[in-house]
Amino acid sequence: MESKPSNSLSSLIDQQVFPGDVVLDLSKMANQTIKLGSGLRQEGDAISVMKAGKLRFAKPNKYWVESSHKRYVPCAGDTVLGIVVDSKADNFLVDIKSPTIAFLPVLAFEGGTRRNIPKFEVGTLLYARVVKANTGMNPELACMDASGKAAEFGPLKDGYMFESSTGLSRMLLNSPTCPLLETLGKKLAFEIAVGLNGRVWVNATSPSIIILVANSIMKSESLSPVQQKIMVDNLLQRVQ
Amino acid sequence: MDEKREDGRAVTQLRPLSCTRNVLNRAHGSASFSQGETRILAAVYGPKAGTKKNENPEKACIEVIWKPKSGQIGKAEKEYEMIVKRTLQNICLLNVHPNTTTSIIIQVVNDDGSLLPCAINAACSALVDAGIPLKYLAVAISCCISENEDCILDPNKLEEQKMKALVYLVFRNSIMSVLDEESTQVGESIENGIVTSVTHGVMTVNNYFQCMEQGRAAIKPLSDFLRKKLQSKVQSDVSVAG
Repeated sequence: MESKPSNSLSSLIDQQVFPGDVVLDLSKMANQTIKLGSGLRQEGDAISVMKAGKLRFAKPNKYWVESSHKRYVPCAGDTVLGIVVDSKADNFLVDIKSPTIAFLPVLAFEGGTRRNIPKFEVGTLLYARVVKANTGMNPELACMDASGKAAEFGPLKDGYMFESSTGLSRMLLNSPTCPLLETLGKKLAFEIAVGLNGRVWVNATSPSIIILVANSIMKSESLSPVQQKIMVDNLLQRVQ
Repeated sequence: MDEKREDGRAVTQLRPLSCTRNVLNRAHGSASFSQGETRILAAVYGPKAGTKKNENPEKACIEVIWKPKSGQIGKAEKEYEMIVKRTLQNICLLNVHPNTTTSIIIQVVNDDGSLLPCAINAACSALVDAGIPLKYLAVAISCCISENEDCILDPNKLEEQKMKALVYLVFRNSIMSVLDEESTQVGESIENGIVTSVTHGVMTVNNYFQCMEQGRAAIKPLSDFLRKKLQSKVQSDVSVAG
């Protein structure tokens, strides 16, 4: 009942795959180490797909399925925007849109000791880094980078936070800056923090700039780079 | 005549299908699925922390809520909930997010026959939209046996009422695979396996197998349709390795 049986390994790369599709045959790839990212799992000798999306491959040996959703699957090393839900003796409970709530140890700040524990109210927005994310355990966050410096992590004051999908967050954090942010940045002055968990925070001197930036980001979900630039140019022309 | 049905369809012809994903803003995943006039809206919330009391905390828990078009919730709705829950438990990978609950809400928008298969198709599409890890997709079809022993696919409400017996069948979808033909001979039997089968009425064993064969023939068109409609609109440029 397979629709496209094929011996070529690369036949499914960069294509839409659905749960159940078998993308790799390990019996043909002896003595190789491959790394599986999100959306793939091993079933005996075959690698099959768990989530619908586009199959990607990065040299030398990484395979993953790229998809965009409203919930976030925590991964160590990601930077996320979390909202404090509760505080306990040792941890803050922070919501990062993951299946289980995340813990932020009270001492995970630069120069954090028992004497200067920060006081976060319920509802505080934090920019944090995911330190540990194992299945079955609550993910652990920290408000400092790997070397212990504060590095822009911590509570975000003022500004406006809105939700996006994980795919849009990844596009905003692209390595050559995405045309949307580049074009906005040429004309407007604003501050932005993007969490890989689908949350974006924008701050600027006047509310109209914040609204403009937020709306243009929300509208650019399904646009190609060229269309994004055109949309932003149109928007800026109408304002100024 | 037995060859053509009342609405002009052939005996094994399905009604026009339509499926849209991401219809609800607040739900984590949603899909609207319709077969002819029957329309179902499914919404998925989750995974959320915590399981219910009697459920195994080492696995994810699935909760189904069936909302009829009108009237109070009664035994029929509870039965539908149970059938959909058991079907979805079969297709979901329950050990990826242990100790979580995923809620699926099924709202009947219009009922014109084949309600349960339409609901299962809608729920499966909503799960794909929400990104819940699945083993495979489920495709559901209903077949019925008429008075003169013909097996008819996808009956509407009028046809259902005149039939002798009715079967709802849920199969695994047809997959794309890079495996060779030979190595899949062993897997052949798994591929054609039934996930769920619900029967109403009285039919002979041969009738049942006949319905199964007819249903199997419908897997491929339904799977291809789902593939086309559930494509995600991800940006096509190269992005950071995830």
